[in-house]
Amino acid sequence: MNVLIVEDERSLSHEMEIYLTKQNFNCDVAFNGKSGTDMVLSNEYDFVLLDLGLPDMDGLELLREAKKKKCEAAFIILTARSEVEDKIKGLDLGADDYIGKPFSLAELQARMQAILRRKHGLKSNVMQIADFEIDISNRTVHCNGNLINLTKKEFDLLHYLGLHKNRVLTRTQLTEHIWGDVLDDDYESNYIDVHIKNLRKKLSAQGSVDWFETVRGVGYRVNL
Amino acid sequence: MNILPSFIKRRKSPTIQTKFAIYNGLSKIVIVLAFNAILPIIVQKLVYDHIDKRLIARSERVLLTVKKGGIEEITLEQDCSFESYSILKEEFVAIYPILDPRKMSRDMDISDEEWRSSNGEAMKHRIIKRPFTYDNQLYELNVGEGIGSIEQLKNTFQQFSFMIMLFFVIVSLFIDLGFVSILMRPLNKIMERKLKPVPSPNNFDFTKINTTTREFNKLDQRINEMMLMLKDAFQIEKEFISNVSHELQTPISIIQNRLENLMIDQELNEEVMIKLSDSQRTLNRMSKIIKALLLISKIENDQYLKNEKIDLIQLLDEVLEEIEERLIEKDIKIIRQFYENFEINPGNKALLYTMFTNVINNAIKYNKEGGNIIITTKTIGNEFTIEIKDTGLGMKKEDIPTIFDRFKRLNNSTAEGFGLGLPIVKTIANFHQMKVRVDSEVGVGTSFTFITEINTD
Repeated sequence: MNVLIVEDERSLSHEMEIYLTKQNFNCDVAFNGKSGTDMVLSNEYDFVLLDLGLPDMDGLELLREAKKKKCEAAFIILTARSEVEDKIKGLDLGADDYIGKPFSLAELQARMQAILRRKHGLKSNVMQIADFEIDISNRTVHCNGNLINLTKKEFDLLHYLGLHKNRVLTRTQLTEHIWGDVLDDDYESNYIDVHIKNLRKKLSAQGSVDWFETVRGVGYRVNL
Repeated sequence: MNILPSFIKRRKSPTIQTKFAIYNGLSKIVIVLAFNAILPIIVQKLVYDHIDKRLIARSERVLLTVKKGGIEEITLEQDCSFESYSILKEEFVAIYPILDPRKMSRDMDISDEEWRSSNGEAMKHRIIKRPFTYDNQLYELNVGEGIGSIEQLKNTFQQFSFMIMLFFVIVSLFIDLGFVSILMRPLNKIMERKLKPVPSPNNFDFTKINTTTREFNKLDQRINEMMLMLKDAFQIEKEFISNVSHELQTPISIIQNRLENLMIDQELNEEVMIKLSDSQRTLNRMSKIIKALLLISKIENDQYLKNEKIDLIQLLDEVLEEIEERLIEKDIKIIRQFYENFEINPGNKALLYTMFTNVINNAIKYNKEGGNIIITTKTIGNEFTIEIKDTGLGMKKEDIPTIFDRFKRLNNSTAEGFGLGLPIVKTIANFHQMKVRVDSEVGVGTSFTFITEINTD
């Protein structure tokens, strides 16, 4: 998978590059709109991660230009810009998703996966964790043919952990994934633990959940 | 406790116009009464002056006759005195010899006296008394004129003038009132347009009030200037918050991503991992504060659209579903008293969602285990109200007015939070022209009531 990162903040593009490379993406980086446009038009990318506040041009211009030239890449807009219309404008221009800064790299990766699934249709929309079959399209979980009734949040948590299997996801990352859009006053609530506890209880009723690890003081991990 | 602005409750004091009318009316009445009291005296004075002149002239004439023709011309009787009375004119001329010169006045003397005419009727007369010498004999000439009719004249005059003056007072009072009301019109306009409460200086009406009165011109101009300064100050503050928040997003992003990259490393020992995770949480807290500030400043800068129709009960249900687990965790029951539904139009659904989430979250956070949250929606008059009431800790009365202040946290509160949850609630409510009322009692619970006026059109 080829990814182009268009981001003028070098430290940020560097961290994104490190992360995505570890996830087996091939990354190119452009630090301004002009070289970004050139690279988008001359190479074939699967993803373009586009910052809107570029020094030489508006990121939306790049997007418009690329779409005009029938660029096939999926665009994810990354921005700290506060204008409300940006999101709508970006999506109207054909962007596939929009993430506000600051964002989590794990979240970015999950969004990219979702786009892949949507755009290209993965061979299988079923994720297998030990005996559990997680159907992402239908949002159902089965274990040995038995349907497990999960709430929306429990499903999202399981899916997110499965997506990042063998890696610890911190409580903060999980909270952001589940409640990222809700701006409330809590920053040290233990609601994630409650959800995990319930999720684990439901799963363990159907099969072994030895793979579902708690990492003390940090978070949770699906260890396969 | 009510968070509504204090001016709503203040008792109404009288307007300048009312005061003017009262002052004008009273002062005119005083003038009329005083004039009415003085008028008889003036009338009397005028009439007396006139009579006196006449009496003097007549006495001069009599004296002249005496001088020319002798006293015999007039005195025909033995005792050398003379009295002549004309009934019709109520006049008389009388001459008496003076036997005791000490009793005599030296000069002429005019006074009011009872005078009994020859037909025996006593009547009030104005009498001039003049001594004169004739043939070495002292005489006193009395010339009199009846004044009984003058009293009558005085009364008639008084009544008549009172009526006329009353008429003029009433007419002038109406003219005054009309003039004052025209004069005060610019001030009323200033009151209406410039002094009405506005949610922010952005909503202030800066149009000039047309007036030729210098004071009102100045007042209007100064109010506009002051509001402009306020507006600028607000704008600068908002822009500052917005810029600072925005500029902080990028460095936070960098650190956040760096922490994530560090934590992917499988070889990290447990202690480092915990520290990194803690740092991530701290960073997240900072990020949330900035997001909250940015949210508030964006709403206040009208950078949010308000173009959706929102079914209120549906929205509340969505919020309740979102936080269902939190309710179960604390064994809190939701009691729905949805007497009426309401459509918020236009509104911003995401913002209202955040608003209700924050309030219900608060109701959970400050509730006791196994408590209740009662949500009531109903219409009172032309207002629709949504009340969210918990059975929790409650607040002290003196704490209520400051709960919407940014970064204000109650001293005795043990719950976490950075003190922007309720300011967000207030800002979103304002954005949707909703009033928020907070009632609370320690140990009983707190209720938040959102009040929105029902559009009749």
